[in-house]
Amino acid sequence: MASMHSRRDDTGQGWFGLAIAVAILAACVFVWADAQADELGPSDNLVRLSEINEGALLLKTVDDGLYIPAPLVATDIALDVSGPVVRAIVTQRFTNPAETWVEGTYVFPLPEDSGVDRLRMQIGDRFIEGEIHERQQARQIYEQARAAGQRASLMEQERPNMFTTSVANIGPGETIIVQIEYQDVSRLSDGRFELRVPLAITPRYNPPASDMLLASYRAGQPQGSRVADAHRITPPIMHPDYEPSEALRLPVTISIDLKAGFELGEVASLYHATIIDRSENGRAQVRLADGPIPANRDFVLTWRPSDETVPSAAIFTEEWDGQTYLLAQIVPPSSLSGPAPRRDRETIFVIDNSGSMAGASMRQAREALVAALDRLQPGDRFNVIRFDNTMERVFPNAVDATPANLDRARVFARGLEAEGGTEMLPALRAALRDDTPEDDSRVRQVVFLTDGAIGNEGELFAAISNGIGRSRLFPVGIGSAPNTYFMSRAARMGRGTFTHIGQVSEVASQTAALFQALERPVMTNLDALFEADALTEIWPAPLPDLYFGELVTLTARLEADGGVMILEGELAGETWQQSVSLADAQPASGIATLWARNRIRGLEESRFTGAPQEAIDAAVLQTSLDFHLVSRLTSLVAVDATPARPTGEHLASTDVPVMVPEGWDFEAVMDEAEPADYYDAALTGDVLARLRASQDPAAAPKNSDGIALPSTATPRGLLMLIGLILMICALVWMVTHEERRLW
Amino acid sequence: MVIRTRNMFKSRRTLLRNRWKQALAALMLAVGAVMVGQGLFIGAKAEIAQILLERAWSRALDGESAPSPWPWADTWPVARLSAPGHDEDAIVLAEAGGEALAFGPALLAASVAPGSPGTSVIAAHRDTHFEFLKDLVPGDLIEVEGTNGDIIRFRVTHTDIVDAARSGIEPIGGPPRLALVTCWPFGGVMSGPDRYVVWADIVEGEVGS
Repeated sequence: MASMHSRRDDTGQGWFGLAIAVAILAACVFVWADAQADELGPSDNLVRLSEINEGALLLKTVDDGLYIPAPLVATDIALDVSGPVVRAIVTQRFTNPAETWVEGTYVFPLPEDSGVDRLRMQIGDRFIEGEIHERQQARQIYEQARAAGQRASLMEQERPNMFTTSVANIGPGETIIVQIEYQDVSRLSDGRFELRVPLAITPRYNPPASDMLLASYRAGQPQGSRVADAHRITPPIMHPDYEPSEALRLPVTISIDLKAGFELGEVASLYHATIIDRSENGRAQVRLADGPIPANRDFVLTWRPSDETVPSAAIFTEEWDGQTYLLAQIVPPSSLSGPAPRRDRETIFVIDNSGSMAGASMRQAREALVAALDRLQPGDRFNVIRFDNTMERVFPNAVDATPANLDRARVFARGLEAEGGTEMLPALRAALRDDTPEDDSRVRQVVFLTDGAIGNEGELFAAISNGIGRSRLFPVGIGSAPNTYFMSRAARMGRGTFTHIGQVSEVASQTAALFQALERPVMTNLDALFEADALTEIWPAPLPDLYFGELVTLTARLEADGGVMILEGELAGETWQQSVSLADAQPASGIATLWARNRIRGLEESRFTGAPQEAIDAAVLQTSLDFHLVSRLTSLVAVDATPARPTGEHLASTDVPVMVPEGWDFEAVMDEAEPADYYDAALTGDVLARLRASQDPAAAPKNSDGIALPSTATPRGLLMLIGLILMICALVWMVTHEERRLW
Repeated sequence: MVIRTRNMFKSRRTLLRNRWKQALAALMLAVGAVMVGQGLFIGAKAEIAQILLERAWSRALDGESAPSPWPWADTWPVARLSAPGHDEDAIVLAEAGGEALAFGPALLAASVAPGSPGTSVIAAHRDTHFEFLKDLVPGDLIEVEGTNGDIIRFRVTHTDIVDAARSGIEPIGGPPRLALVTCWPFGGVMSGPDRYVVWADIVEGEVGS
């Protein structure tokens, strides 16, 4: 009886206790998650500007710095390709989903070397054309217009490859059409021209590189790293809500008018099904085969000449504002791509093992380094330097590539773990320090493996520029979102090439590409000679060294068309010369813009060779204004002179018929359906309640809410309270349980 | 025999159940410990950061622009805030990356520099750096040292409780004022929309160095 009683009692208590415990645990986890979410700030569909990796119209919310991405209904991209010159017209249609007047910010990525020179916007039934102004002035114009209740838009350069457009006073339910035009150049690799249209998209859980520059500690880090040592840098990890889902995939239509300038051979789209209509004269029309595509991967079109040996030069000119602008792409002699007489080398490997490299990036860097070490041969010299906020050399000086030395380096490489801060400068200086500057028997190469998550680019560029000597710098970008702006500029200044390794699976192919650049002969001291007084300015200046598979690409401003241009270079100790008749140049548009863009880039880079900042600013500003280009110092601003709609009048809605101005090809966009249901689902209730309503411009007592205040409570008290309750429950239970067992 | 078998059977089942309960208790203990640890870490971070910030602050006074308190910091000190009557003292950070509040009070980017015409809004967590706001009463002195070494004195005029989204604080225009902001109520564990604002006006003619 006693045992029966005891057992029943025991079971009842056990189940009761278990139920209570599970309930407490569930409640705690719930509240805990809530506390964490609260600390995170962004929840729902809110994002920060730095988290945007694809074109999106962002609506300001009551939380400073947080935005709601408005639905992007449709995108149409029309590309006009003349030879290597690409003119892109991107037309996008958005709808304000809110019941209030809002201010939006449109963020979009573009290829790094493209020049944005036009913005047009349609709000409701109004059209606004952007004008170029000095950046500060443009912002003032915009803000005045916003305060006055006028519709206005402003396009600014955030980073060299990222732009924002702000739009003031968008009415409830209004549709906005944004059209951007930019100039780009197709790239040649392996005898094949390549055109890349950025539709997005670094995976959203990978922040854009410059975000990493800023971010170190974030509340959104995985829990594990928070208890780890505080010196650790972990790149910010995006809230799962922001990760792409079906709902975020945006319909895109693309059409390309390809005028290659030579008889077309293979034309192919790498990732999308296309229909290609060829006409004579090296011309083709390309469109998507299966209708709109989701904006989840870049569109890449490649084409090559039918006879690969034929074109040795492509010359285009444009008459603009009384001047002649020249774009020349010249194929170097075949000896550049031929097998090279191998020269001994001194290769210094620098590997970044800072905290931002943690995870896949570190694995890729390790693998790449080991693969690179395998390519060294007897007679070569090498060294390996690793850095985080400290620095370590495997050997005090470069050593011979003996099996024993290589083994030691491999062991070192395999043992690398990502931790610490990113102090790149000492490592870079050490790598560039050349003990034998007069040694002609070896070429000196610095291979720099990093994600480029640094903020002091200026110092580094200066160090490269001053210390490069006879060394050549080959940055290798690691991870899916390295700081390509830093890498490609470092490669140009270090007179090397930039390689990108995005996945572990790419290590083999990309290190092979790198070694092609390292092992083939390089054309140096490249120069373009013109007839006397014919040339006013040439960019880039000086012309960069030419590696395997690359074209000589230059833009120049000429006094007169016609005449002859002579290209000169040194290749494997011999002088190479080629004469190009400029009279054969084909007319093309956009050459002046490309020249101006190159000029701005060249001017910006001259900062690191000691040019005074004021002179650079003045020249960049003047060039941007002359050529209508958005740059670091200039913005496009558009103000609608028409007064905004008066109060009381019926507000515009999406069914207002929209006028299409002449020359605008909106058909693809107009055909698209209304916002799909999933947007309505995603943008209701709580999310919309967080929208910062701008005043109805006609009513407008201004900004009476004052500034939004940040969240100033830590979850500390809550965490400790719940933690203690949990621990006490557990302890009490354990103790009573012990006692019961003693009975 | 029969009884013994049954006893054996029972004890094994009990044992099994006990294991489950032990595991659950251990799990609760572990989760609780992690949470307490996190709570302690938040406090420790706030304290330790201020020590590092002191050093960055002396560099700022030496004329370095935007000195980084630690190599991977996304913010930098812009002022030192002290309440002499309450023995409180903290380095104020620029609200640059959004994470400044974990380390110290932050001068909101949308507001103005202390001493300039308009309202400087400085916010901090109620349970770390700005816990002392609850003790401030009208008439108390607040000193703000700028990076140029000048000390600007403010005197508390009144306190206010506002909604975070509709603070009514207009940073631009008017005489130099200071608004110290933290969450309300003090000692609360859940975060809410209410903010406690301590208003202070500049004390004219008392700029020292």
